[in-house]
Amino acid sequence: MTTIPSDDRYDITVRSAGLRRRKLTEKAYAGLAVASAVIAVAILALVLGTVIHKGLSALSLDFFTKPRPLFGQAGGIADALVGSALIVSMAMVMAIPFSILVAIFMAEYAGPRLSVALRIVLDVLNGVPAIVVGIFVFGLLVVGRGQSAIFGAFSLAVLMLPMVARATQEVLEIVPRSLREASLALGVTRWRTTLSIVLPTAIGGILTGVVIAVARVAGETAPLLFTSSIAANQISTDVTNALPTLPVSIFVFSESPDPGEQAAGWAAALVLIAFVLVLNIVAKVVAGRQRRKHEGV
Amino acid sequence: MTSVGYDPAAPGAELERRGIRLGDVLFQGVALAASVAATALLGLIAYQVFSDAWPAIEQFGLSFVWTEAWDPVKDTYGALTFVYGTVVTSVIALLLATPLSIAIALFLTEIAPRRVAAPIATLVELLAAIPSVVLGLWGILVFGPWVRDTLEPWLQSFLGWCPLFSGEPSQAGMLPAALVLTIMIIPITSAICRELFSRTPRDLMDGAMALGSTRWEAIRGVMFAYAAPGIAAAVLLGLGRAFGEAIAVNQVIGGANSIHISLFAPADSLGSRIAAQYQGATSALQASSILYLGAILMVISLVTNVLAQVIVRRFERSRRAY
Amino acid sequence: MKRAALATFALVGALALAAVAGQAQASSSATKDTQLVGTGATFPFPLISKWIPEVGKAYGINITYSPTGSGAGIAGITARTVDFGASDAPLSDQQLADCKGCVVIPWALAAVSIPYNLPGLNGRVHLNGATLASIYLGTITSWNDPAIRKLNPKLSLPDTKITPVYRSDGSGTTFAYTAYLSAVSGQFSRRVGNNTSVNFPTGVGARGSSGVAGVVRNTPGALTYVDAAYSIQNKLQFAMIQNRAGRFTTPGLRGIAQAVSTLPKKITSPAQLKIVDPPKAAGPLAYPISTFTYVILPTSSAKAAELRKFVYWAVTQGQKFGPPLFFVPLPTSVKAYAYRELAKVKVAA
Repeated sequence: MTTIPSDDRYDITVRSAGLRRRKLTEKAYAGLAVASAVIAVAILALVLGTVIHKGLSALSLDFFTKPRPLFGQAGGIADALVGSALIVSMAMVMAIPFSILVAIFMAEYAGPRLSVALRIVLDVLNGVPAIVVGIFVFGLLVVGRGQSAIFGAFSLAVLMLPMVARATQEVLEIVPRSLREASLALGVTRWRTTLSIVLPTAIGGILTGVVIAVARVAGETAPLLFTSSIAANQISTDVTNALPTLPVSIFVFSESPDPGEQAAGWAAALVLIAFVLVLNIVAKVVAGRQRRKHEGV
Repeated sequence: MTSVGYDPAAPGAELERRGIRLGDVLFQGVALAASVAATALLGLIAYQVFSDAWPAIEQFGLSFVWTEAWDPVKDTYGALTFVYGTVVTSVIALLLATPLSIAIALFLTEIAPRRVAAPIATLVELLAAIPSVVLGLWGILVFGPWVRDTLEPWLQSFLGWCPLFSGEPSQAGMLPAALVLTIMIIPITSAICRELFSRTPRDLMDGAMALGSTRWEAIRGVMFAYAAPGIAAAVLLGLGRAFGEAIAVNQVIGGANSIHISLFAPADSLGSRIAAQYQGATSALQASSILYLGAILMVISLVTNVLAQVIVRRFERSRRAY
Repeated sequence: MKRAALATFALVGALALAAVAGQAQASSSATKDTQLVGTGATFPFPLISKWIPEVGKAYGINITYSPTGSGAGIAGITARTVDFGASDAPLSDQQLADCKGCVVIPWALAAVSIPYNLPGLNGRVHLNGATLASIYLGTITSWNDPAIRKLNPKLSLPDTKITPVYRSDGSGTTFAYTAYLSAVSGQFSRRVGNNTSVNFPTGVGARGSSGVAGVVRNTPGALTYVDAAYSIQNKLQFAMIQNRAGRFTTPGLRGIAQAVSTLPKKITSPAQLKIVDPPKAAGPLAYPISTFTYVILPTSSAKAAELRKFVYWAVTQGQKFGPPLFFVPLPTSVKAYAYRELAKVKVAA
């Protein structure tokens, strides 16, 4: 028979100093936890608040319709908006079908070990820093040919691929096997099953992954510095040349001594953050709807 | 659409009899090709960076990594200044971000009521969504001057005896860069920790508390022990992110050419130096040396990434035993 | 229903892409022959900004210029990723060889100013080559150092630390500035040397002329070297620098004009265009840190006709846009050299 220790420290019927100390410690750590959360939210509020405050005052109709300024003039970000929109759209076109195919292979056709190997490949690709992707595309494509928006889009697509592929793969694996088996039992071919049954079921999760990936690459500067940074100060849709982009413009404005250009930097940052935040909220809404739909199933 | 009946005379009937559908073979082939291409892409990135760096690797060898030199006039280069800058800024960011992230995760899973936790969790995730160039813009124009005018003098007032906090306060240097990196890492690490903590089996925690431990003691004894590998992986992932950040760091670190002891002094990191100098290299050797920096960066990112994954997989495997 | 929506979305997307591609095709084929892309020095950017709309009006040539630093300009034209490069630093022999048939043509002339940030000072700071070299070597660290006070007996210099700011990117302005410092200080020449990118032992780096001007603007006690137009544009006070005649001069039009007054009558190579630290004979107002800035063209190019029109215009009519930005019109001997070099640019076979 084990003896029960008669240590007052652990006897909860005794309101001892030990118990008080332990409760105090508990309160202290709880306080620290709350303080940390407050700090995190405060930093977010600080950064966002500054961007909104300084950016709002620089917003104007001119800002959205004029291209970036030459030396000593005023201007806007119209050309950078067009450039960013084109480059991100092209990156989506390059990355999404490719990523979905890779995910389909991992979820539908690959054996468990191959699937794990591919997952590792994608996770490693995800960990390659954006600047390394930039110098990779520079050395592979830009040298000898010149910069172009297409190369910029390709570098962003390389960044998007692992994100979209992993998100798609995870969603595809959640789709119940019974759905696939029922379809095959009815005589539908395997590829038809995947495209017409499995993918549409997973579309919510895929969309979420895509939206999050787009939000991430819309703000990427490093790869575009090497592939699409020498661009005319005018609105252009010529994708075979470099096009100005929002993140690179912010980067250049941020180093400028001119208060006008700095204000333009804040305003451009506001536009970019608004875009990224809206995308993140859309992703959350879609993910929430997906979750509720599956819970109802 | 395939008919339910089987017509032996129809084209492809032989294949269909064997149960092989052309569409399936093609589709699987395309999906396989895409996967092969994705793997090849990874290999291609490594190959391109290393082959462009080869002239410098050949010239300087491995000692490049621990040589402190960057002189385009004499055409000799070494990476130590930038390796030092990368490591120091990232480690400081980690030391600051990890306890904060764990605390935030604890707050969200254990302390906050559900109605408060959800919006706060969203806000912390939004911190991750801020593009690094915007953080850098804020760093140059707002945070850096504040660090120079308020934070660094304050630190120097009681820590000035320590060489780390000596010298003149500056708005561009190791400290502002490390703090900006901290802000970037917190959302990543806290999100992973939050996942981990919310997945701790409740019966373990309940058992501990039934034995008389306070909430905090249960957390410390049970939850952390359970989640320790996951926290390690989260830390490593945050570290990998910090290593790779080039733009925001370039905006606030000051582009120095040599190592200074003080955290207040300007410094430079691998990613930042690449971003600053790659397009304007004065000689082929300098261009190649900059790519050598890129190769080093790629290797250390890879190592931290793979380590994190190894820990996660071992963690998952041992958890499945539960 | 969902499928119909997805199909419509895909159709609209495809149409939009086709429209964009079509317009891209149309615009590219329309502008390919009349578009010039260049990159390089930030130093002449103020002047080039004035040239771009004028050349567009005169010849219909659409010019894109991105100020990324002389180093990037040299690298860009060497890799032929751009149609022309701009640099304040002439090409070294090795760089000329790597460029495989390039000509270096001077197309503007201005000065490197030394702006600083000392608010509330009762006058303009006087400096000389020796003190500047010591500042950038890190041996002078404070504004009220005896060496600086000796040059400024009437100023009440504060005890503020000097933060020397330098270009972190490959910069022709760095080339001109380090050429000057190497000429006046043996220690600087040995320790740091002269190049577009050097190993400054102390100070803070920033990208582009904009970047260094920005740091000076935001940092009390900072000092940097940058094209005069940037100092003026950003209302930065710049120092007066002592020349060989012993006088303290400003980077103004007369100072630069005197600095080039001792150039030979016939120029045969860019090496003769080194005008930093001019001799006493140049004149009492000669500013010691003046520099030419160059455009680098390939001798054989599909766009040779447009390039020649552009550069010829820049060297002749473009010069009149210079003076308000503190760019001095090119001397006749330099113009003649420019024409001779420009003649070597021929249309590719």
